[in-house]
Formats: sequence, structure tokens, C-alpha cells
Amino acid sequence: MATTDNEVKELIKREYEHGFVTEIESDTFEPGLNEDVIRRLSEIKQEPEFMLEWRLKAYRRWLDMEEPEWAHVDFPKVDYNDISYYSAPKKKEDMPQSLDEVDPELLRTYEKLGIPLHERAKLAGVAVDAVFDSVSVATTFKEPLEKAGVIFCPISEAVHKHPELIKKYLGSVVPAGDNYFAALNSAVFSDGSFVYIPKGVRCPMELSTYFRINAANTGQFERTLIVAEEGSYVSYLEGCTAPMRDENQLHAAVVEIVVLDDAQVKYSTVQNWYPGDEHGKGGIYNFVTKRAACIGKNSKVSWTQVETGSAITWKYPSCVLRGENSVGEFYSVALTHNHQQADTGTKMIHLGKNTRSTIISKGISAGRSSNAYRGLVKFGPAADGARNFTQCDSLLIGDRCGAHTFPYIESKNKSAIVEHEATTSKVSDEQMFLCRQRGIDPEQAVSMIVNGFCKEVFKELPMEFAVEAGKLLEVSLEGSVG
Amino acid sequence: MKQAPMLSSAFLHPAGQTLPEPLLALRKQRASLLVDMPLPTRKTENWKYSSKYLKLTDEMAISLPAEGKAGNSLAVSGYKVVFRNGILIPEASDYPDMDGITIQSFSDLSNEEADVLALQLGSTLDHDQAQFARLNGARFDDGLLVRLDADAVLDQPLFIIHETAADTSGSAFPRIFVEAGANSRITLVEEYTSSGDAPAFVNTVTEFTLADGANVTSIRLNMEGESVQHIGATGVVQNHSSRFESHCVGFGGPLRRHDLQVRLVGEEAETKLNGVVVTQGKQHYDNHTSIDHVAANCNSEETYRNIAADQSHAIFNGRIHIHQDAQKSFADMNNKNLLLNNGAEIDTKPELEIYADDVKCAHGATIGQLDEESIFYLLSRGIGRRDANVLLTMAFINELVSQIPLEVVRDTAQIRLNEFFEQTFQEI
Repeated sequence: MATTDNEVKELIKREYEHGFVTEIESDTFEPGLNEDVIRRLSEIKQEPEFMLEWRLKAYRRWLDMEEPEWAHVDFPKVDYNDISYYSAPKKKEDMPQSLDEVDPELLRTYEKLGIPLHERAKLAGVAVDAVFDSVSVATTFKEPLEKAGVIFCPISEAVHKHPELIKKYLGSVVPAGDNYFAALNSAVFSDGSFVYIPKGVRCPMELSTYFRINAANTGQFERTLIVAEEGSYVSYLEGCTAPMRDENQLHAAVVEIVVLDDAQVKYSTVQNWYPGDEHGKGGIYNFVTKRAACIGKNSKVSWTQVETGSAITWKYPSCVLRGENSVGEFYSVALTHNHQQADTGTKMIHLGKNTRSTIISKGISAGRSSNAYRGLVKFGPAADGARNFTQCDSLLIGDRCGAHTFPYIESKNKSAIVEHEATTSKVSDEQMFLCRQRGIDPEQAVSMIVNGFCKEVFKELPMEFAVEAGKLLEVSLEGSVG
Repeated sequence: MKQAPMLSSAFLHPAGQTLPEPLLALRKQRASLLVDMPLPTRKTENWKYSSKYLKLTDEMAISLPAEGKAGNSLAVSGYKVVFRNGILIPEASDYPDMDGITIQSFSDLSNEEADVLALQLGSTLDHDQAQFARLNGARFDDGLLVRLDADAVLDQPLFIIHETAADTSGSAFPRIFVEAGANSRITLVEEYTSSGDAPAFVNTVTEFTLADGANVTSIRLNMEGESVQHIGATGVVQNHSSRFESHCVGFGGPLRRHDLQVRLVGEEAETKLNGVVVTQGKQHYDNHTSIDHVAANCNSEETYRNIAADQSHAIFNGRIHIHQDAQKSFADMNNKNLLLNNGAEIDTKPELEIYADDVKCAHGATIGQLDEESIFYLLSRGIGRRDANVLLTMAFINELVSQIPLEVVRDTAQIRLNEFFEQTFQEI
């Protein structure tokens, strides 16, 4: 190990001597991570000094941290010096030239999901000019947003255009040293979204990363920051139901949400990264830190997630309920199949008076997968009258998968009430029999039952997402029966 | 990374040499594994909430001598074995010599018998989860072996009174091993009491193996005083059609920890775990239970209730693990908590780990306070607020206390509970 480390360091150093700066426009960084890499990254992005400082500070913190091992997942250790931390947009010549060159399996999935033809090409990473008319999208989107005063742009752009907001809020919810992956992200984040909803504004449309131009190249260390000023409202959609082709194995994203008085943020995610093949080979490692701070009175945050992709998922969208009467919600469907492993859940930290939270988590495991709910509900001494309700249900499909529940409940307030319940069951023979008897084939029957199982969560999703999510489960569960 | 504190080497020197040779050898071997044993910290998952209460000093490392007097509060209505500071006291004990039933002090075992026992000691426990059972393995000065042959039935409950006489600082390491043969039956009561107010450390291990069809009822009453830190572990292995029932009643102290591990290795085994904990003042109590469904068709049922008053801290961690192929398992875990004052803390973690699909598992946990409407109902019928509080709090745990199958234990627990209510609800 020591030798390889040294070799890598040697390599990096050597390249530095040769003056890599001239090459930066067009190339991908050599694998490896050190302060020079971060300086280079910051330079390419032409970031102001304060960002570089911030990144370096995070990097130094990261060096002192140890990779967490408590999650109920098992995977070979990641060699952080074997990853390239910057990659310029791909040249067209390197991409598949037409849909004919794309994995037919992927195309079959698109078909089942009913994805429009022109979008398929973009999703598969095919080099086609103007896959769908980005100019028109830009105008139809940008005009009403600008009129409303909403800022919705790549975070790298926000660093230049709105440094005062970035300085104020970046890292205010997830500090650079929060955890191992958050620190790594803070040091090397590639890009992401910045959303700012001014006081009293109800965002005129649902904001979606899927449609944001250049979203395709946010890279593996995505960073999202949403600030909802007093009395504002925004619904934000992340990801899309179609499986995305991606070369990066490690994804360590950070999402921060700041919610002020009377504001509401609804954050919906559909995550369907490549889960690896049926033997558990390949697949994305998805290590995400998502946290919302309900700072203001009567503020509300709602996380809804449908997680079907990634080989390893490690994700706990959390709410810090600081403001009086603030509300946190978490609705989750996590589906694992084949050799996927998911350890996901939420944290509800009740600090203010009369804060309320609801957690509905549905885990579905099939094949040889492992699916864990891990959650924390905490009441501080000042959380008078706070309430939480938690329900975690697991559904097992097949006898070689695992479903786990690790709820942590901590209370320091006598007037706080928490109720937690969890059940585990399987698709029962009776249910199957009933469906079969009515001429429904087994695969469809399972999908119907699973959809019913997840209904409570799907109804929280924006409409078009909900329809897609249903289909997505169907596709993901393929081959789990019979 | 800060170095985790280690168990002081002062704890590695056992005192009593009266044990038979094979057990001395076992103890020595176990002690060698303890060198540089890290003590739990906040980062140790299964000690997360309790590590700050663990305060072991070198003065506490020496074994307390088997003398001094500690009064037990239990009016014994059956056979009796008395341990004083971890040493069995034959003069104070009164147990039968029956066909098919062996009740014997470890010190009285022949080398051959001790050889057999040495292989069994510790076999029921997962020492990675119950770290301090290792320490007991290295330090036990004496112990009690109970063997029931097939079909043997102990006609009266066996009371084991553990007295800790802490006139000076020190520790006690009592150990009990119960082997219940096929279709045998026993009720065993363990009571932990103490006298004296020097800081003492009690580290216990109790093990049960249940052969096919065996039926064991275990009752554990923890009533030690304010100077005693107690870390106990109970390991249970159940074979085909066996039935184990456990009732634990615990009163808080500076540190109270009980690990209860049940492994269902034979089909159609059944286990039922009940527990009640009350804490007040600055007391602490931590119950960690785990039930492993290794074989198919087993049932487990677990109900724990905690009440925390003043600035006390009660913890429950229940784990149900359904192994692969343990189909048709039925597991139900329920934990309810009553937090009586701001300043008190309750932490609960009901875990499920499931690797088989045809199972029915559920757990529920709540933390709350007395229901205002119920209090109002009682007030409207002329019952004072204090009495209403006591009544409702009592009802909260009575469901479990009333299930204890021995009246004498129920009564003893009730007296202590009444004291608790007196103190907790006096100011209202």
C-alpha cells in the first residue's frame, strides 16, 4: 500500500513539474488527491479566494477523519488516490455516436419506462447536438423564474454572482467537517445547484436538476444549496427515473437546505444510478449527506425519496427543527435487488418548541440484497410539546435478502411524544393467489402489491414523478419472482 | 484519533485460588485475552449512552473478601444459595440433594467435572457484544453449577442471593451456569443486593443451556445500592421445543447494565422476555437484549418498560436477528417509556435484522408522559393528583410486574416500587 501511495504521489508530483496548467482546458486530472489538486480544481473553476480557502480547510479536516464503518454495508475499500477529481466535459468523439452503440439492455429499460426517444439519447450519453432544444428550455424556464426573483443556477456560477449568499449559507447546515464524505465533498465538489427563493415568493414552477442545462456534468461530487427566505415556497426535484450512464463509481453529494420563517421546501429525489449487474459487479457507491435546517418559525421541510439504484447507498436526509412549530417530513421508498446494499433513513432533531416530524419508510428487498433503515429521532430539553411518528415497513421478496431496522430514539423532554413502529412481512401467498386467480401474471401481481405497499410515499411525490416511480419499481423488480 | 482508554491491568489479577485446576487454567487463558482491552467510549456502539457512567478505579480492582453482612430483602420461599462478594457461602445456603439434579459450587467440582464445565463456560454469549463477560471469565472466584438431567424437575424455585458487602472498595464476579436437560424444569431467581457505601463493581455472568423440551423461568431482581456499579450478562441457548421465560426488574444506580442474549437454535423454541426499569435521582440503567432466531418456527416475545424520573437516564436496546432459513419465525418486541421530568433522558433502539422472508416481525417503541385525559378522569372522580399520577404510573408497569410467577418476588418488587413512587411524586 505504502509503495503504491508513494508511486501515486510521485506521479502527481512529476506532472506538476511539467506544468500541467497548460493542459487543464481539455483534460482529466491524474488520479490522486492533495492540496495541489484542489488548488488546480479551484483555479480551473476560477473561484474566488474564499472558496479555495474553504476547500483546503475541508481537505485538511478530511485528512484527519476516518472512513465510517458503522453502516450495514459491505464493500471493498475505496482508494481515494485512485480517483480523478476533475474531468472536463467529454469530447463528442469519445461518446457513443448513435443509439446503436449503446447497451441494448439500457435501451430496453428506457422503452419500458416510456421515455421519449430524444431523451433516451441524452440519457445514454450519446453525442447528439441539441438532444432537446436547450435554448427553448432555457427561455421557458428562465424568464418566469427571473421575474419572480428566484435564483436557480449552477453553484459554480453562484460563487461568482452571489458570493455573499454563498459565504453566508454554504456549509452552514452541513459544515465542512461534518462527516467523512461531506468533508471530501467540500474539498473537491465539482458542481451542483444553487437555489434562492426570496422573501414571500412562491416559486412559479417545480425546479428540477434533470432539466437544468449542464446538469449532465455535475460530476461525482455534487453540491446543492437551497435557501428559502421568509414565507417562500419551492418544490425541488432531483434526479430522474431513467437509469443514468455514469463512469464514476463514487458519488459523494451534499445537499443543504436553509428554511427561514414560514417557508416551505419540498425536496423530491428519484435515484436510479447504475446498481451493478446481477452478480453484484460494478455499480455506483452513493454516499450522500442531505440536511435541512428549519431555522425559522413555522418552517417546513419535506424529503421524499425513491431509491432504486446504486450498488451501495448511504444516505440520511435529515431535518434540524430549530424554529418553533417547524415541521420535518421524510417519505422514503428504498428498493434493493440482486446484490445492492442500502443503508438509508433520516434524522429528526427536535430542538424547538412544538416541532413535529413524520417518518414513513418503506424498504423492499429482493434477490440477495440488503436494505436497512437507520434513523434518529432526538428531542432536546427545550423541545416542549414536540412530536414524532415513525413507521418503517419492510417487504422481503425471496429468502436470500435482508431487511433491517436500526431506529435510535433519544428523548430529554418530558412533554415530547414519540411513537415508532416497524413491521416486516413478505408478499403473502394469499395475496399472490388472489391476483393469480384473477388472471394477473405473477410479475405484475408482485408489482401491484409493491405499489400498494409504497402508496403512502408515492402520494407525496409530484404527479409525473409518482407515475414514473411506479413504473420504475416494476422494472427494478424484474426477475425477482419465479 | 484519541487513544481509547484501556482496562487497567489491576483488573487482570484474580484472587481466589480455590477453584479446580481446569477452571484456574481457563481463567488464566481468558485473562490473557484481556490485556489492553479497550474500555467502551461514546464511540462504542453498544455503550454509546452508558460509557460516561462507567468509572472503574484501580481500588475497585481487587476482589472483595467473602465476609461482611449484606441483608437481602427477599423472603425466600424455596431453595437458597447465597453468594457473598462473588463467593458461594455454604453455611448460608440451603439447597437439596436430589436425584438427577446437581447444585454445586465451582470450588467443589472434581477436575473431571470442571473439565466439562470449562468447555461450556462462555459458550452461550457473544462476547463482542457483552464485552464485560470476558472480564468475568478472567476473574470469577467461584460460581454455581446447576445441572438438571433429562426429565428432572426442581420442585421449588431456587433463589440465588448475591450480596455485595462493600465496606471497602473492590469487586465481585459471581458466575452461574445452568444446564437444563431434556424436558427438565426449573425456576431460578437471582437477587442482587448490597450493603456498605464504598464504591464497588459487580460483574456477573449467568448462562442457561436448554435441551429439547426444557422449561426455564429466570427472574432477576436488581436492587443494589448507590455505590455499586453493576454490569451483568445473561446468555441463553435454546434447543428444540424448549421454553425460556425471563422477568427482569431493575432499579437504577450509578451504573447498571444488563446484557441478555437468547439464541434459538432448535425449532419450535419459545422465549419470552419481560423487563421493568425505574430510575430516579441521577441514576442510570441500560438494558441490552438480543434474540437470535437461528432455527425456523421459533417464537419470541419481548416487552420492556422504562420509567425515568428526575435527572436519571434509562436505556433500552433490543435486537432481533432472524437468520437465513429461520423461516416462519415470529418475533414481537415492544418497548414503552415514561419520561417523568425534564432533565431525565430515555434512549431506545429497537433493532430488527432479518434475513428470511417468511417471517412475522414487528417492533414498537414509544416515549411519552402520563396521559392528561386519564389524569383528568381520575381527578374528576375525586382522586388527588398525586394519587392519580401514582396510579397511572403503576398501571404502566403493573402489566409486567403482575406476570412474575412468584408472589414473594412481586411483593418485594412492589415495596421498592412504592418507595420509588413516594419519592418521585412527593412534591405534587
